[in-house]
Order: sequence, then structure tokens, then C-alpha cells
Amino acid sequence: MEDDAGSDPPSHPALKLQATSFPGYSAPTLSPAFRLDEGYSDDTPSQAEKETMADNAMSLPEWVLAQTEADRAAFAYTILRSLSTATLAGVVERLTPLLHMDPVLKLPPELTFQIFSYLEPRQLLTASLASRAWRSRILDSGLWRVLYIQEGWRVDLRAIRSFEQEQSEAVSPQTRRARPQCSDPDLSEPKQKKRVPMSWYDGRTLDDSKSVNDTTQPDNEGDHMMLDASVRTPQTGTEKQIRGSQTLAHDSISSLQPPLKSSLVVRMPNGSTRINWMHLYKQRRRLEANWHHGRFTNFQLPHPSHPEDAHLECVYAIQFAGKWLVSGSRDRTVRVWDLETKRLWNRPLVGHAKSVLCLQFDPSPAEDVIISGSSDRSVIVWRFSTGQKIHQITGAHADSVLNLKFDHRFLVTCSKDRTVKVWNRHDLLPNHEDYPRIFKGGAASYPSYIIDLKETAPNFIEANIANGHIKALKAYSLLMTVEGHGAAVNAMQLHGDEIVTASGDRLIKVWNIRNGTCVKTLMGHTKGIACVQSDSRRIISGSNDNTVRIYDHISGAEVACLRGHNNLVRTVQAGFGDPPGADEALRLEALEVDTAFWRAQQEGAPIEPRPSATRRAGHTPNTAGSRNPRDIRATGAKIPPGGGGSIWGRIVSGSYDESILIWHKDRDGAWSIGHRLRQSDAAANAARGTLSDAARAAIQTQVRHLQATQTPGIANIAAPNIMTGQQSNRPTNTPGQGSTPTPPVINNAPGATPAAQDSNVAAAGPSHIPAGPASRTNVTNTTAVNAAPQTPRPLPIPSALPGAPPLVTPQGVPPAGLAHLLQMPAPHPIPNIPRNRAPAPTSRVFKVQFDSRKIVCASVDPRIVGWDFACGDDDILEACRFFQGL
Amino acid sequence: MSSQITLTSSDGVDISVDRTVAERSILIKNMLEDLGDSGEAIPIPNVNEAVLKKVIEWCEHHKNDPVTATDDDDNRRKTTDIDEWDQKFMQVDQEMLFEIILAANYLDIKALLDVGCKTVANMIKGKSPEEIRKTFNIQNDFTPEEEDQIRRENEWAEE
Repeated sequence: MEDDAGSDPPSHPALKLQATSFPGYSAPTLSPAFRLDEGYSDDTPSQAEKETMADNAMSLPEWVLAQTEADRAAFAYTILRSLSTATLAGVVERLTPLLHMDPVLKLPPELTFQIFSYLEPRQLLTASLASRAWRSRILDSGLWRVLYIQEGWRVDLRAIRSFEQEQSEAVSPQTRRARPQCSDPDLSEPKQKKRVPMSWYDGRTLDDSKSVNDTTQPDNEGDHMMLDASVRTPQTGTEKQIRGSQTLAHDSISSLQPPLKSSLVVRMPNGSTRINWMHLYKQRRRLEANWHHGRFTNFQLPHPSHPEDAHLECVYAIQFAGKWLVSGSRDRTVRVWDLETKRLWNRPLVGHAKSVLCLQFDPSPAEDVIISGSSDRSVIVWRFSTGQKIHQITGAHADSVLNLKFDHRFLVTCSKDRTVKVWNRHDLLPNHEDYPRIFKGGAASYPSYIIDLKETAPNFIEANIANGHIKALKAYSLLMTVEGHGAAVNAMQLHGDEIVTASGDRLIKVWNIRNGTCVKTLMGHTKGIACVQSDSRRIISGSNDNTVRIYDHISGAEVACLRGHNNLVRTVQAGFGDPPGADEALRLEALEVDTAFWRAQQEGAPIEPRPSATRRAGHTPNTAGSRNPRDIRATGAKIPPGGGGSIWGRIVSGSYDESILIWHKDRDGAWSIGHRLRQSDAAANAARGTLSDAARAAIQTQVRHLQATQTPGIANIAAPNIMTGQQSNRPTNTPGQGSTPTPPVINNAPGATPAAQDSNVAAAGPSHIPAGPASRTNVTNTTAVNAAPQTPRPLPIPSALPGAPPLVTPQGVPPAGLAHLLQMPAPHPIPNIPRNRAPAPTSRVFKVQFDSRKIVCASVDPRIVGWDFACGDDDILEACRFFQGL
Repeated sequence: MSSQITLTSSDGVDISVDRTVAERSILIKNMLEDLGDSGEAIPIPNVNEAVLKKVIEWCEHHKNDPVTATDDDDNRRKTTDIDEWDQKFMQVDQEMLFEIILAANYLDIKALLDVGCKTVANMIKGKSPEEIRKTFNIQNDFTPEEEDQIRRENEWAEE
């Protein structure tokens, strides 16, 4: 019947009411009652009005009204009993609506806010179709802020604040006076607990129908009833109802308030502008859908029109933050890129004598720093904004610096020399809390200049600092050396006071940065580990055993093992999307899984936390985070199988199998492969998408030419049996190696002779052949063959760059262009290439990083490529700048 | 401490209640702490007798519950599970339900407010717009075209 009312607004409102609200009621009784109402009834009588109508339908004699409620009830009952059943049914029908009342009219926004916060977004959108009043309450920005945060999505609050301020100033300078009140950070945080203004209660007791309207006015806290920017005046409930009643018959969609399409900002009654969280939620949801369905555009660094910006050889390290990306390459340079223009920003940073293997940067004015580590064994500190070399730690390690991380206190480096070293970022006195605490008998050793604070009286130290006998340690002094791994330390993370390291010895270790003691050791990987990442809840790693594993940070239990790559997993990043209050939720979830496991075991199910036993029972365990008791491998973890987090959790892993896997959670919370991306596809797309026809023709000519010279090389190295043959010659006591080629980055295992210092570069670089100590001869050969066409000879970097003409004609292709053309994926964009020939592995992935909208990948290809899941959508792009990863 | 205090409802009825029970209401608790128990009746101007009695019934049943009046869990994804006794307690007419919610908010009894809001949320859950309108006697003031367009605009949440 509601549909009738909506679809055909009747010309006689009273008749409509009769038809919709009281069907079947006998006409003679009804008519007089409704004639009384005709004078003021309208299309959309409010509930209160209807009550009034019903109450005043017939004026009652004084003596009836004088009775007590109980007596009146008895009286009414007696009258009702005198009616025929049919009439009685009509009365009941007519009374029913009185027992049902609209919470949106009955309750103030603060309380419907709380009611709605218990509902899922989809259900809320359905409910928003109930009426205009419902829609207006449900599309409340503050409500969607809570929903957004509950999803585990993050935002850049600082960006939102400054955007709101900017917008408010731009729109109405005269509202500036009002701003101190509303820009108060506390006020701008919607609080779940909202006090209903006293006026609500006062008004309610006086006159129900009036107060219903009054209380939909904006309350003082300001977060409710946000209006869209197009509306200038605060709209009260009263206005809304009038509006609805006047315009229902003939008004168009434009009368919807809030408007049909959400927009990025809402205007507050006081004229200030706020971000519309409903819009942010919606765009984030659409962005996540793009990830889920694999909808993206590709881009590359450098911009295809400026190949002269490119690295000359493969890129080992990248990091991006905001609009900046910094990369480090085998060409010995560090480059800073502007992600907006896709152009090199400033000149390449030249200083390292060999490959740049790792880096971290912080563009904030307080830090303004890039720190890079190299196979030249040194670490260089650069000023980000100027590219100036500030400091170099020469001989930081006895071998290649494989990874480094810094915070405002410490720089930590790890190396192929199997050690981890801690350095101070700033001048450091012994009375400072960051000064190392000597712990004897542990894995750490300390330079002789480190004072043992335990053996020195504090006042002695203070006195000697005062009189200048004890001087501050200069910035970037060695504080301690930690030894404990049996092979190269390939990767590390710095997390608060913990260092997490991963090594070719198949172990992950956690160290205390204050004194260098080993806090715990995690096992599980069956070959060397290439990469590691951690937060306070989990540790996640990728290995030469082709798996990604997730460990409970607290108990050390392995909670998931992800199989999907078929070669070494070189790089991994995980975002679990923990919503607020996650620790407790995770613990409870884990407990629940444990309980289910023990219960199943008690009931005699053939389960055991040992995979071999389960497998014997004919069950192939799902190790990717299934909660089936039969799949559980360890109990007592503080996080559930798979590591927990929100449904939006995401892991991105990059491998020497040339693919990047995007993992997401399936319905049971287990990780599964969402998409398999290929570096070569991205490179082809990025190049194709933005090149002019002329440039494309130029490339094709070049590629055909290069292909002719390259083919023998490809044939040579494509024969995998060469590698297998070499492998069998390796020392058998090398744990980090197996049947698959083991890249030297991680194969510096105990018992093996340390490889030549740069061998990892040679192997991981353009040669595409993993070089171990035993296969060095072979490496030299294949490197020669394959590297030759790629970069004809080691190029003096700086001189090769300036003056390189842009790629516009075949004649104009510079060496840099040559280098990257050769990396073009052979089978895809280029004709005349035999498809059945296995192409050389040109795109082994070295490093991936993702944020809320994109993945960026560094690989053997000197071009850095990216996948942008905003996919060119204007609404998503507009909202993206406020999003942060998971 | 288990002394009795008197509350006066908005319609002027005095109700005697255990102080510990009444102190489930943070408003009353703070009042007693600030003003001291003078033995005088405390006026509750916004809650009538019927509703106040109902609220006291709830406080009576929950008087031994641990007080979890922190806002810590505010941002957590919340379940709408309600324990059995509370479910029965909330089986009242809609006017009473909404009045209980308003009273719980006014008297600052967070747990009761939560139960009330959850009850209403559960009445909305899983329902179509038509069913929601029927449940709460809401007049549909959208045109069919508007409804259609809103439905289409909301499709992003379905993907």
C-alpha cells in the first residue's frame, strides 16, 4: 500500500489516507472523521499529525475524559465488545499504525546515529530508501566515519584537516570567526556517546508533534545533520517536511536532500566545510572493488616520452611516500622521481662505487634524508631535498650492505657478512637513553669506545661530560655489531625497539636494539629467507622455498604458509587492515580457533598439529589461514590462522618467477591468490598507453634490430639444465640450497665460501643466472653473453645522462632507451618473435610496495612499473589523496 | 550503602529504589556524589512513571553487572547480539521502547541504551525498504523515479 501512496499522489489527500491507512473500514463510520481533517491534512502527514487526527476524530464527552486511564480503557473495551467482528477488525486495523512509530521522528539524531552504527553499510543504504527523513539521517557524514574506520581502512587525518580548513577559507572568509569553535579537534571527532540536548526532553513533554520537528535541528556538537555544500542554509526537520508535502506531487529528483550523488565535502550550518565521510567510504569501497576485480591502469618511471630519465640497469630498491619515489640501481645511482609527472626529479645521486642494493628515505622537513646501502660495502646519507651527500660510512660492513632501516634514533644495517650493525642518527652522549646498554655473553659486540654504563657510576659520567672528558659520539658511529645468523642477513625491519632479521640460514630472528640480545628465533622456512616485514602482531616473510609465511609475533607460531610462486619470493608487503581494538578481537578469534581444535581432537577427529599426521589421514591441509581444526598447525597463538585483520587485508608478493601475486582473504579467512600480475605486461601497457605513434614505430624498429643481436644470448641462457648441472656440484652441506636455483642474495650459507662480493649483483642482475660460489665460472660466461646487448659496456653514469635526446626518431634512441627496450617482454607487443621460445627471465621482481591505490615494482627491467587501481576514475582520484594503505 | 533513595517521575510519582540500583544511572550517581544523599526525593523530570519503573526493573536485574562504562569499544565492529533476559525485557510496544532509549540516554545508563539501540537495529536488519516502512509506520515520500535512482546510485555497495 505504501507503493500506491508513492506512485500516484492522489488529488484528494483525505481519500488517499483512507485508502492507504484504513482499508476495509466501513465507509459510513469513516467519512465524518475524515471530513474533520480535510482542512489541514496534506500528502505526507507526520506521524504526530496522524495521531492527533485519530485522537480528535470525535470529540468525547467531558465525563469520559474525566475518568482515569484504567477506567477509560475498560470503557473502550466495553464499547469495542459491542461491535461486530468485521467492524472490530477495521478498528484494529486503524489502531495498528498507532502502535508503530518512526524512530527517526521519535528519536534525536544522536540516538538514531547509535542505532544505525549497529548496521552494515549495505543494510543502511537499503534503509535509506524508507523515507526522505531516513535517508537524510543515514547519509550522515559522522556515521560513515565510524563505518570507514571499522573497516580497518586508514586515512591521512592531517590531509583531511588541512583540506577542510582550506575549503572553509576559500568558500566563505566571513565564517572565519566561527571556526575556532568547529575546528577544535575534539569537536570534530564524532563521539559515539552523544548527549541529547535537554531541549529534546523539554519540547517532548510540552507538545509531541512540534518537538519532533524541533529536535532534528543541528545540535551544538556540529557533526550531525551535515549538509551538502550546495545547500547554504541549515535545513531543519520542519522545513524538510513542508518541502516534502509541497513538492511531492510534481518535484523532480533535484529535491533529494542530501543530493542523489554524494560529493567530497559537506557544508556545516556555520558555513565551514567538512569532508564527507560517506563519500570517502563510497570511493574507498569502489577502489577496493577495483583491487578485487583487477581493474587498473599501468604507469612507468620514467615517463615513456623521457626514456633518458631511466636507470641504466636493473633496479634493486624502491620506496615511495606521497608524490616521491626513490630508487636504487645496479647502475650505482640513486634517483628521486616525481610520481605526478613520472619524471626524474633533479639529477641522479652519484656516490656509490657499486650497485645500490637498499635504501630508505624520509622527505619530511624534519628528516629530509635518503640513506642508501651498496655492494661497495658503504652506506651514504643524502639530503633528500638537494641530493647532496651528507655523510658516507665507508666500509660499514665487510661485504655488501643488503638492507637498512632507520628511525629518528637509529640506523640499522644488515649485510652479506652475516652481521647486523646499529648506528646512531644523531650525536649521542652516554647519559642519553639511546646509548647502548652493554650486555655481556650475548650475540652483540661493542666498539671499545662504548662505555659500559653498568660499570661506571652515573655521577662519574655526568662529571666527565661536564668537564668535556667524555665527548658525544658523532652521528653515524657504530654502536654495536650483532652476530647470530649463519648466513647472509638478507632483510630486516626496525619496529620500535625490535630489529627483525631474515637470513639465508632459514631463520628469522628478533633482536633488542638497546642491548643487541636475541629475543626470539622463528623457524619454518625450508630454504633461505629473502624478505621480511613485521608489525606488532605478525611477522611475514618470503623465501627461496617459494612460500610466504606469516608468524604470530608474540608466540612465534606459524599461522599461515602461502604457496603460489614457483621461484624465490624476493619481496613481500602485507596490510592486514586491523580495525581499532584489534588486539582483543584477534586474541578472542585465536582462542576460538584453539578451542575448536581441542574440541575436535577430544571428539576423536583425526587431527594433529603435525602436517605429516594429517596428511597420512588423507587430508591435504590448507595452510593459508584456514580455521578448520584439521588445518591447524599450531595452537596458543595470539592471532588466528592467517594472521587476522579485516576482510580487506592484502598481501603483495614479488618473485623471481617474474610475477607479483595479490593475495586476499576468501570467505573462511584463508589467503588465496586474487591476481597474478606480470611486470612485463605492465611495462608493455605503460609504454603503449602513452607513446605517440611515431615513438611506437621507433621502438618497434629498434626492437627488431636488437632482437636480431640478442637471440643467441637468449638461447644460451634459456637452457635450464646448465644451472641444474652446476647445482649438483655444490657443497652438500649448504642448507640454503635445493633443486631450484638459489640466488646468491641468500645463499651465503654456513659452509659455503663467501661469494665474490658483487656476485649477488651479477646473478640477480641482467645475467638472470643465479650465481653461487660453485657456479661462478658459469656466471661469468652467461653474464658476458647476456649482458652484452643489454648495456653494451659499463657506462660512466653521469656522462651518459645529460644531452640524451628524447625518443622521437629511430636515430635518436639513446643508450638508456636501448637498455630498456631490451627489457621489453618479447612475446607481447613485438611481432616477429617466435612464440615458442622461452624468453629470458627479464623481469625478476626485486621489490614491490603498495599503498591504498597502487603497486610499484622494481625488477631486472630498468624501468620501474606500477599498477594504479584508481583506474582513472575521477571520483576515486579526488578522494585518494586522503586514503592510506591497510 | 544499600540505603533507599526516592526518585520522582515527571508525572509526580515517588518511586523508592536501592541506591546501588539507582546508581546504574551515571546521572543519578554523579548527582548523589555531588550533592550528597540528603534523603530528599530526586526529581527525574524527563521520565514518566511507567518508563521509570521499567528502567528500574532493568537496573535491578543488572545491578551486579561489572561496570564497563568506557568508550574503548566504541569504534569496534559491534554485534547486535542481546542476551535472553534483555530480549524479553525489550518486548514492549514501540513507544515504550523509544521512551526507554530516551530515558537510558538521559539517565546515562550506557548498557541499557546499547540494548535499546540494538533492539531497534535488529528490527531494521534484513528488511526491505517496504518492510521497514511497515514496521515503523513510515510514509513513503519518494517518487518511484526517485526510489529507482537512489537504488541505482547505491549499487556501489553491492559489488
